[in-house]
Amino acid sequence: MKIPHLGRRVLLFFASLLFAVYVLAPIGWLVSSSFQSEAEITSVPPHWIPHQPTIENFATIFTAKDKVVTYENRKEGDTATGGFIPSTAKNLLPSMWNSLVVALAVVILNLLVSVPAAYALAKIRFIGRDSSIYFMLTTRVIPDIALVVPFFLFVQQLGLLDSKLSLIITYLAITVPFSTFILTGYFESLPDDLDKAARVDGCSRFQTLTLVYLPLALPSLVAVVLFTFLTSWNEFLLALMFTQTLASQTMPIVVASFTSDFTISFSFINAAGVLAIVPPVVVAIMFERYIVSGLTAGAVKG
Amino acid sequence: MSNMWTSGSNRRDFLKMTASASAVGTGLLSLPASAQAAPLNFYTWSAAVDTVKSHLSAFEAKTGIKVNYNNAPWAQYRDTMVTKFVGKAPLDVLWVSDSWLPEWAEAGWLAPVSNFPELMKYNAEADDFSTKSMQYKGKQYGLTYYTDYMAFFYDAEKLKKAGIKEPPSTWDELVQQSLKIKAAGIADYPMMLPMARESWLIEFLTAMVYSNGGGFTDASGAAIMSDPKKGALQALQWIVDAVNKYKIISPACVETGELNGLKSFSSGNHAFALLSRYRIRTLNDPKQSQIAGRVKQALMPAGAGGSHATVGWMRFHGMTAQAASDKTRAANAAKLIEWFGGKAEGKYRFQKMLFNDIGSGFAVKELFKDPEVQASYAKYSDMAMFEKQQQFARKKDVITRWFGEWDEINGSAWQSAVIGKISAAEALKKSAQAWNDLRKQA
Amino acid sequence: MSIRTSALRRFFGHPVSAYDQKSAMLFLAPMMVILTVVAVFPILYSFWISLFDLKLTRPHRVPFVWFDNYANIFQDSMFWDSVGRSTTFTLMSVSAIMFIAMLMALLLNEEFRGRRILSAILLIPWAIPYVANGLMWKWIYDSGYGALNGLLFQLGLIDKYIVMLGDVQKTMLLITNSFVWKEVPLATILLLVTLKSIRADLYSAAKVDGANVWQRFIHITLPALTPGFALVMIYETMMAIRHFDLFFILTEGGPADASHVLAWQVYVETFRKLAFGTGAALAYIMAIVTFTLAFFIIRSTSRKL
Repeated sequence: MKIPHLGRRVLLFFASLLFAVYVLAPIGWLVSSSFQSEAEITSVPPHWIPHQPTIENFATIFTAKDKVVTYENRKEGDTATGGFIPSTAKNLLPSMWNSLVVALAVVILNLLVSVPAAYALAKIRFIGRDSSIYFMLTTRVIPDIALVVPFFLFVQQLGLLDSKLSLIITYLAITVPFSTFILTGYFESLPDDLDKAARVDGCSRFQTLTLVYLPLALPSLVAVVLFTFLTSWNEFLLALMFTQTLASQTMPIVVASFTSDFTISFSFINAAGVLAIVPPVVVAIMFERYIVSGLTAGAVKG
Repeated sequence: MSNMWTSGSNRRDFLKMTASASAVGTGLLSLPASAQAAPLNFYTWSAAVDTVKSHLSAFEAKTGIKVNYNNAPWAQYRDTMVTKFVGKAPLDVLWVSDSWLPEWAEAGWLAPVSNFPELMKYNAEADDFSTKSMQYKGKQYGLTYYTDYMAFFYDAEKLKKAGIKEPPSTWDELVQQSLKIKAAGIADYPMMLPMARESWLIEFLTAMVYSNGGGFTDASGAAIMSDPKKGALQALQWIVDAVNKYKIISPACVETGELNGLKSFSSGNHAFALLSRYRIRTLNDPKQSQIAGRVKQALMPAGAGGSHATVGWMRFHGMTAQAASDKTRAANAAKLIEWFGGKAEGKYRFQKMLFNDIGSGFAVKELFKDPEVQASYAKYSDMAMFEKQQQFARKKDVITRWFGEWDEINGSAWQSAVIGKISAAEALKKSAQAWNDLRKQA
Repeated sequence: MSIRTSALRRFFGHPVSAYDQKSAMLFLAPMMVILTVVAVFPILYSFWISLFDLKLTRPHRVPFVWFDNYANIFQDSMFWDSVGRSTTFTLMSVSAIMFIAMLMALLLNEEFRGRRILSAILLIPWAIPYVANGLMWKWIYDSGYGALNGLLFQLGLIDKYIVMLGDVQKTMLLITNSFVWKEVPLATILLLVTLKSIRADLYSAAKVDGANVWQRFIHITLPALTPGFALVMIYETMMAIRHFDLFFILTEGGPADASHVLAWQVYVETFRKLAFGTGAALAYIMAIVTFTLAFFIIRSTSRKL
């Protein structure tokens, strides 16, 4: 879309500014407050830029170590030693590793499962096509809270409580319907002629999928990767119920544990929030070029 | 492992195993029989984690019983435990809040400890309201983890600035003093009273109702909350007027929870506050509070025809029905409960550590006389006041099997009255109606 | 697997080959297995539970009551109020999300310097864990110290801090805002992906024909975005109806039930009242409503589906 050159640039500039402010304003506050002390964070009016910046919140997360806790070395609460940073701070990094492992596993498995399914739904005429789609949707219409107990029983029967595998399987079931949905929609928008052309050339269905359609579907694949990764990364309720120890606890659980009954350090929680954003944003940055620059459907042009 | 304890034959096999193991042990190697037992599963919410861990290390060293310790954030604790109970996850000992006792006992999840004399003997040295809170239908379900009550705090400096000599002893006096403070520009909303929907709400409401000389229910358990002579109406009306007529409590109180209220008070925004007593420690800590050193506790103001009564709550270490069904597990669980809720090596160690580390209260009467405890408390507050108010603390009168459901309705009704949606009388009528209906269905 | 082609011929009006049927089945198999094994059991289990008057605090008496739970729910005025609140929430959020996402997607579709940075920034709200997000907004909206209050105050729009979440007029708006903010990135990505699939030569042809920016937008962009809109609408509607986290962290259904939506009611029934039967029935009603909505959206916006 071309509009007069200067007008276009100005318009784009203001639009970008608005966009950036909308997205970044709350984040900016999150970051700023994570560098403030607990006393400063309650200032009225708020200190947009910290007057006395401190890295104590972050330092605690990175330097906390594991050890056997005895009467002598226990962290005496929150006031005597001046720190009201929760003793579970040291769990944040290991739990982020768990989250990462789970999320990556779910992404890979998800792609393996939903890509063929989406291709079939979009390009092959077969009996049961419509019902399959509705079936997929049906698995996602029940609110999560109602699913907690049955999922818990299911996982327990399998003996998978407190293991990352339980999370991987469950998240897979949660994300597959919608990823398939996204991919199906995208595949449908790709011309059928390619299919016919490939078949005429002697390709099997599978080869048509992998050699012809997949490369063209890159933007939607990336969308699915991001969707799946972030859904797994952020999921909280089921992880809360299925995990018990650090062997399988994911990041949202540990972040939630910082809001314990006795003390709460908002600045610390914000610092944890800041750290928790980093891996997904890295993943996003790695992949965003494929969405934004994308590939136009040049294959049909000639 | 999950089905191991529910299958009868497996249980018998296991018992046979431990029996023969202990025979071998005592015969040949003199290892304690409990060393071969399966680990105990101990669940708590995430408070004083390090204190608990340190005490557990000592327990494991002394008895050789291994403990799997896990915790969940308080906000999600109840839901997590409900799911675990329904899913029959392995659990032996856990922390329970007094409000949940009837529910969990009726659901068959908790087992009474009344037949463990080694646990029951501690009752003699504990405060009555705390012990009573652990009893349901004549049986006791554990030993106290901590107990505390709703306290009335004031900022001595602000009072001095306004020329007020003594803190108020009645709610009416508080209104007068607040108006004075407000007029002098010292605080916009001199009184801080959290009224957000959360598990703390009932504690605040009950404190108000008790101090106004009434209660929610009578001795037989019937609702008296809508009776204008029985205190609740007076209490609610006072709050409604404080917010809307005198404007000494902020209308934002319906979104302020106990924690936010603490932060607000400690930032110097108010002159008076209703908060858990153990918060005094944070309030007088210069690293966490901007009014440190100025906060004092006074007796709960009384309403017309009321008293300085307040509400006391407690949390306790409970034993699961699962654990109780197996002799070895039950014995080990009882040992753990005694270690934490009773004496550990002849002393009330855990209670003292807890008090020292996070300032939470205890039910053990002798600790009030302990010189270390007194010295530590003197640093930030007045021990005499602590004890005095505790004598006026009563347990909640609404803890029944249907408390969870009624609490939702009641909380909402009080909030509606405060924001002016319905009148105080209507709100309490609704609440009483719900109570009576639920009681009939039970 | 042998499939008689004559029967299939009638089905679609043209032959469905056995090869096609077989390939489709094969391609769908992994997905079907996963969903059936993991997801179907909980769904059937929930339905089964909803037919009993199951109260955990009364475990010895669990009568089978057919659809009584459902009947009781429909007669409860709290249910209908919650339906109203959920509907308002869903309508407000979905429209806001679609509108904002469309603007952002259009912006990101343009080529200009700094676009890469913008698209990276876009993903941040999505990446924040729910708990951190909830607490962040709770802090921003705080009536005593909130950044929102601070901002309005410093801009001179208010002369002293106002009540935010505690004000029943504002509660739902504020929660909606937080929800929309977190959902916009995904919606934008989905719309952007759809935009990318529009053939560039359509635009060039239209320009040659003399169409201006607005006409090109109305006649090319919008129609082509329809499947994208459908996708976003279905997903976000489903998310909005079932959303629970923000209601839990920000207001717990208050104040005075101002934010007491259906999803919150399910939680209250199941975990606060321990009335599992009613909770399951309520969840099922929500599921049916959600499914019906999704069904209609799919039917009305897609030719093939």
